[in-house]
Amino acid sequence: MATHAVSISDAEYEEVRSHRLLGFLLFLISDTIVFSSFIFSYLYDRSASPIWPPLGVERPGLYLAAVNSIVLFGSGVTMHLAMEAWRHADRPRFNNWMIATIVLGLGFLSGQAWEYSHLHDTWWGTVFGASFFTLTGLHGFHVFIGVIFLITVLLQTRRGVYSQTRYFGLTAVTLYWHFVDVIWVALFFLFYVY
Amino acid sequence: MTISELQREASHAHIHPPPQGFVSRYVISFDHKVIAVQYFITSGLFFVLAGLLAELIRVQLLQSHNTLLSAQTFANAYSVHGSAMVWLVIIPVLTGGFGNLAMPLMIGARDVAFPWLNMFSFWLFPPAGILVFLSFLYGAPQAGWTEYPPVSLHTPGTAFWCAGIFLIGVSSTITGINFMVTIIKMRAPGMTWTRMPLFVWATLVTAFLSAIATANLSAALAGLFIQLVFHVPFYDPAHGGSPVLWQHVFWFYSHPAVYIMILPVFGIVSEVLPTFVRRPIFGYRAIAYSSVAIALVSFMVWAHHMFTSGLAQWVQLPFMILTMAVGIPTGIKIFSWVATLWDGRIRFTTPLLFALGFLPMFTFGGITGVMLASVPADIHEHATYFVIAHLHYVLFGGSVFGLFAGLYYWWPKMTGRLLDERLGKLHFWLMFISFNAAFLPMHWLGLLGMQRRVAFYDNQFEGTKLLHLVTDTNVWASFWAFVLGASMLVFAYNAVRSATHGKIAGPNPWGARTLEWMTSSPPPYYNFAEIPLVLHGPYDYGKPLPYANISQDLATEPIA
Amino acid sequence: MNETRKQPLLDSTFWSVTVLLTVISGLLMWGVVIFPIEDWLPEASSVAAHIDFLFRFMAFFGVPILVYVSGYIIYFAWRYHIRKGDSRLAVGSPIHDHPGLEAAWTIVPSIIMLILGVLSYIVMPKYYLASASSVATIEGIGHTFYFEFRYPGLAQSVDNDLHLPVNKEVTIYLTSDEVDIRNAVIHSFWVPEFRVKQDMIPGMIVPIHITPVKEGTFRIICTEFCGVGHSDMVGRVVVQSQADFDTWFKTEQHMQTQGATKGVTISITGGNATAGGQLFAAKCTTCHSTGAFDERKVGPGLGNLFHDTNHPKLVTGKPANPDDVADIIEHGFSGDLGTMPNMQVNQLTDKDIANLIAYLESLHK
Repeated sequence: MATHAVSISDAEYEEVRSHRLLGFLLFLISDTIVFSSFIFSYLYDRSASPIWPPLGVERPGLYLAAVNSIVLFGSGVTMHLAMEAWRHADRPRFNNWMIATIVLGLGFLSGQAWEYSHLHDTWWGTVFGASFFTLTGLHGFHVFIGVIFLITVLLQTRRGVYSQTRYFGLTAVTLYWHFVDVIWVALFFLFYVY
Repeated sequence: MTISELQREASHAHIHPPPQGFVSRYVISFDHKVIAVQYFITSGLFFVLAGLLAELIRVQLLQSHNTLLSAQTFANAYSVHGSAMVWLVIIPVLTGGFGNLAMPLMIGARDVAFPWLNMFSFWLFPPAGILVFLSFLYGAPQAGWTEYPPVSLHTPGTAFWCAGIFLIGVSSTITGINFMVTIIKMRAPGMTWTRMPLFVWATLVTAFLSAIATANLSAALAGLFIQLVFHVPFYDPAHGGSPVLWQHVFWFYSHPAVYIMILPVFGIVSEVLPTFVRRPIFGYRAIAYSSVAIALVSFMVWAHHMFTSGLAQWVQLPFMILTMAVGIPTGIKIFSWVATLWDGRIRFTTPLLFALGFLPMFTFGGITGVMLASVPADIHEHATYFVIAHLHYVLFGGSVFGLFAGLYYWWPKMTGRLLDERLGKLHFWLMFISFNAAFLPMHWLGLLGMQRRVAFYDNQFEGTKLLHLVTDTNVWASFWAFVLGASMLVFAYNAVRSATHGKIAGPNPWGARTLEWMTSSPPPYYNFAEIPLVLHGPYDYGKPLPYANISQDLATEPIA
Repeated sequence: MNETRKQPLLDSTFWSVTVLLTVISGLLMWGVVIFPIEDWLPEASSVAAHIDFLFRFMAFFGVPILVYVSGYIIYFAWRYHIRKGDSRLAVGSPIHDHPGLEAAWTIVPSIIMLILGVLSYIVMPKYYLASASSVATIEGIGHTFYFEFRYPGLAQSVDNDLHLPVNKEVTIYLTSDEVDIRNAVIHSFWVPEFRVKQDMIPGMIVPIHITPVKEGTFRIICTEFCGVGHSDMVGRVVVQSQADFDTWFKTEQHMQTQGATKGVTISITGGNATAGGQLFAAKCTTCHSTGAFDERKVGPGLGNLFHDTNHPKLVTGKPANPDDVADIIEHGFSGDLGTMPNMQVNQLTDKDIANLIAYLESLHK
């Protein structure tokens, strides 16, 4: 697949790129729908419940989550900077910003893991816990896949798979990473603020 | 655009080298036509299995208290019958089967946008089906294809059901994305939106529904699975969850799903009619745009399946109004199809017969659908045999008749041979008569008091004057259901026989005008030697073929 | 292939066929209007006649749609099909739309739908709004597999028997008994003669309002799959004059104040094992097999009920002897595995119980 980037004509690459971009955007939309469905379930259960959070459930700590969010949004900034560096053909800067993004992503995941390990066991038995773990877990899984995606793209750049004008994989991972950030905005608001 | 500009644009669609070896050609194939055949074979197999389950149901219902099947086994039978027909037969055959077979050819492309994903989508299908049927070993689902909790949580086999349907859902979503990109981006030069064949419109809208709606099913199934296996209380009222939540999330997908199951058929009928009537389809724009309207509104009517679930009146009202509204664009299509027959030059081939049979049956199903849309009427009709009658009229009278129209129509393109016309007509008449005879009386069975999902119906009618009538009606329905099952054997025989005895088809046996008929039967793996250049829409019989670089000789005289 | 059409657009044959289809529609529509629904299914509640009217309205307009669609298909198929000797290349009319016609067949159905929507909207509140005249509130609870009704003024509930005085509005609160997810199921309360249906959902209590207008005995049918006994979950609603209802109520009160019975109160001697066997097959096999204890369907296998050294005690803790088995059949039992209905729910007479005991005794392996 990636080898086509080098071997086909400009016009044909442009065609292939536009297909892949549309396909990838449609994939992100359908992924958003999955999250929306779980969010709907959460809001439904919440509105049917007289008190929230349910008895015996303490909201997870806002402070840790806020710090973790800054880490994640920070990785969004570094992702953007990496993309800019690529466009300006500044490979050393690109590498650095990519590594920063990966590190921050892993940092977010570690923060999540730490938070999970400090939440009460009984959470699983409540509908708050059910929604919280499913949604943040699904999101965390997306971050994890995103980190793998980032590492793969970084390795691909080292192998010379992309050129200065043909770098769809990089575009895709940028879109994906920003998508993960946007979902987190919604989840952070729903579970920690609202 | 000038012809030379169009030609320049087309030159990018180069031809890849051919696949080599049995595995690359027929097993792990990236060719949409081979993948289509794979879908047809797999869904055909599940059609037989699900059909046998249906016949088992009808044997049980020959007596009002039959001891042939236990209540448990009966529940397993109808649950897997429904689940298989929806997810392992109709949806895959219409999208993965017909969508793959005809759509890329109709838009003048060499293949779909993402051939590897197409192959992957297909190969999710057999494991999905195996998982669903594997549930029989661990306690198959008993709560119907809708698997409402809490009762669905009492059977461990529900976990297999969740996993299997989840897989086929992923397959459906990927195919939806694939087809959307293909149609939006890969139409032949000159094929503007309003020059696109109506089957392509139908496939586009269906693909949109597949990509967007199915994601909700995945979430719902994940919730049910997690609750079943890890005891997490999504739908558990004792811990803050709600069984009605499942109904909302399930139906938010499943209502658009029924449109996934009918829109491609609308597309098939819109192709079959002009071909055998040899005049333009009446109301092209109305048919195209009404499909879009139906798809959008289909997301807003889901709770009409839940009118007895304790929803507040102010919630029920908009769902009722919108459900009634969605009947209007459908009616427009039906009237347009009938008007297409007027002043035509009609040839009664088997595909046309199936299309003509589809029309009144789907109309009738649509009328009973409106009867279900009205909240007060639905209160009486919900969860009775009235609904079973309605759903079979639209899904069998609609989807199955439509898919046979498509199958008889595109069989020569797919295989290079024609199916036998006399056997085809026999199949049609057997199926048409037996289907209507079996399912029409079920409307009043439901209205008089026979509810769904019952292995025995003596208790419901004991002490009334109706028991005898209800038993007789069930015996009658079962008899005709057996004839219906037998009618499929006629098709199977015809299909097998065509391999050796079918007339050679040539590129355009029906004298049609859409692009799939402008290449050989079956097409070469690269579909077209040169990407076609499109000048006009495809339905103007009487005018020259609307393609710049295709021989007018392909406007052949029909063989039949 | 450029044939030009010179025929008039719609000729006299077309109009004749249209008239014929109109006549057929008219006859069928008249049939819809006069069809005696009440002969097949009594209109036994205040709302039933309205529902039937709505249904007639929809059938009334559905009929011409079906007749015209099918009729024109048949006519056009016959009229325009190519005959022997015609060229298969012949081409039909090039007309591909007609704004006036398309507008007509969009607007007219829309108007009919709108009217239907308004009529439906008018009927809707009749279930859901209590008028001030509601005389009583009854609780209806769905169990596996029977309906329990609690009446104000009665100490104990009555199973599968809903008594209502005619022409009085009552409110019934419906729910499902179990909330533990391992046992909970959704049921549905449907009385076809009332045209009333409401799901009984665990964790929810939903009120319905019914005014019965005809005396008689009607069926309560569970309409939501609830397990293996779903087909058997049928109760009765008895609509009576106020006087008869009062009599029933007093009798019920009296019977209940006799005290809860413990132990069997009927004679179980001289039962017929063959009759018992037939009864067992009809009523008990949903939940019990005649195999070993562990051949469980819902309840245990009863093949070796009286002589099983591994299971000498019944689920009530009493020893497995005929009197204590009869006690369970008479009064029912509720426990972890589910609920066994009592003799009233199972519609068993004293003699039936004696026959069943005889049959069970005959199963000794």
